[in-house]
Amino acid sequence: MHELNWGIHVILYLFLAGLGAGAVVVSGSVLLRKGGFGSSRFAVARCGALIGPIPAMLGTFLLVFELGQPFRALNLFKVINLSPMSIGSWFLALFIVFSLLYAATFLPSSAGPGDRLARIRRTLAWICVPMGIGVAIYTGILLGAMPARPFWNSPILAALFLLSAVSSGVAAILLMGVFFRRKSTNPAIRDDYHNSAYLLTATDAIILGGELVIIFLFLLFAQLTIGDVRYAVAEVLPGGQLFLPFWVLVIGFGVFIPFVIEINEIRPRLLYGRVFRSRLAIEVLVPIMILIGGFTLRYVIVVAGQISSSAVL
Amino acid sequence: MNAKQRQLESRRGFMQKLLGGAAVASTAAAVPVLTNATSEVEEKQPRNKHYGMLIDTRKCIGCHSCSVACKAEFDVPLGFTRSWVEYTEKGNYPNVSRHFLPRLCNHCRHPQCVDVCPTGATYKRHQDGIVVVDTGLCIGCKYCIQACPYDARFLNPVTGFADKCDFCIHRVSNGLDPACVNSCVGGARIFGDISDPDSEISRQLATNPVTVLRPGKGTEPNVYYIAADHSSEHENKRGWYDVRVTTHRRDKKRR
Repeated sequence: MHELNWGIHVILYLFLAGLGAGAVVVSGSVLLRKGGFGSSRFAVARCGALIGPIPAMLGTFLLVFELGQPFRALNLFKVINLSPMSIGSWFLALFIVFSLLYAATFLPSSAGPGDRLARIRRTLAWICVPMGIGVAIYTGILLGAMPARPFWNSPILAALFLLSAVSSGVAAILLMGVFFRRKSTNPAIRDDYHNSAYLLTATDAIILGGELVIIFLFLLFAQLTIGDVRYAVAEVLPGGQLFLPFWVLVIGFGVFIPFVIEINEIRPRLLYGRVFRSRLAIEVLVPIMILIGGFTLRYVIVVAGQISSSAVL
Repeated sequence: MNAKQRQLESRRGFMQKLLGGAAVASTAAAVPVLTNATSEVEEKQPRNKHYGMLIDTRKCIGCHSCSVACKAEFDVPLGFTRSWVEYTEKGNYPNVSRHFLPRLCNHCRHPQCVDVCPTGATYKRHQDGIVVVDTGLCIGCKYCIQACPYDARFLNPVTGFADKCDFCIHRVSNGLDPACVNSCVGGARIFGDISDPDSEISRQLATNPVTVLRPGKGTEPNVYYIAADHSSEHENKRGWYDVRVTTHRRDKKRR
């Protein structure tokens, strides 16, 4: 058995940082865009902004303490070089700072569209969205940068991690909505709520579809290659050590089933213009499945990269 | 005037021009001081070396004295190795063989570990080509350990920093051979300056068929082998003959 130099701390970090970054990216994008969400735009943006920094900070905390010498991590900020980890840690540090500021603009009880913080909130959203995309995408580049790890050494990994991060972010926002926004008795707010749930579900379905395409391309090209990459990808194919977690938890449970359910949910409104009413059970279960899938995706990829190796010495 | 002198002359000329240019911008008083100082340094500065190693596996008897000497030299913690010897056993009775493959850091020309290091703690010394770890900057993130195609690095559990072979920098900078070379019973290891065409290692490299490990990774190693057996356990999938690699390391499988 190969030793895992990057274990559960790193896997959790990759998942949590992606989740946080995804939530803030979705929040910022919803806040900045003009149409679609109507008056529920602010509520959705607030959900994402308030969730975002928490997992990002938790993941960073895990990562720093995994070093064993937490204060050594400050050495990262003495230099900036072309190492993906160097660029990533600058992105992460700035993301945490700006996403906290962004979240703070939603905290006052008077916070609402067009209040006196509106301008600064928009400015922070403009900063947080690219920062969040940077944090989500660098984790894939971090793993992909090494020819010594054939399973990871693919440019498509960065795209997969970005989509998975945004999808987890949407799932977290949907889940928060169930707890904090669904209960309203005001019919106007309820209509808004279901409208925003429709848009989030539709967005998520598109992202999950994209993830399926990327995973398909990843496996296809690994299988079409000969040599190291093909040996490495065998770990997630039938007979490999990670076959079941990858196909059952990541692809089935985490991407494909949520994708089918979400498409089925949005279909009546999308095709026939019927009124969309999101169902509580689906609204709770689907995000949880997506989050489990997102974590297992990081787990499978980080472990598979370390247990597979180059064939030729 | 031979080629080396000419190179030195032209470099000095370049330095003087460079400093002359800088001096125009600086005060007039600083000019003589600067030029005098550099020309003295230039004369003392030795030519840049590039250390490398050639291992003749035909002379290796698999005795692990290199591994032991290395452990003793650096007090490498229990269970870890900077230098180790792998055994490759292959074939089916009665056609069988065993080969020894001494391993260490390859001090690559394009070290992946250096590329990925986020703090610049790992770098390749320009004066002798040795890849070193600056423990003052290392944060123990293990990125370099992931990036090394040769599994030459480990996290030192005592210091918490990345650790690996450094060609016995403290010995070679004082004119000695590395500990593993010094202790090699069969005289299988030749250490020296590859950039000097008159060195023993350069002559042996030029007159023998040599290979490096994992050339496909593009790292351009500076540890060369004569008659190394590159067989790996992946070949067992073909089912023609058995290959068994014993790494003699904590991580039993070769990465």
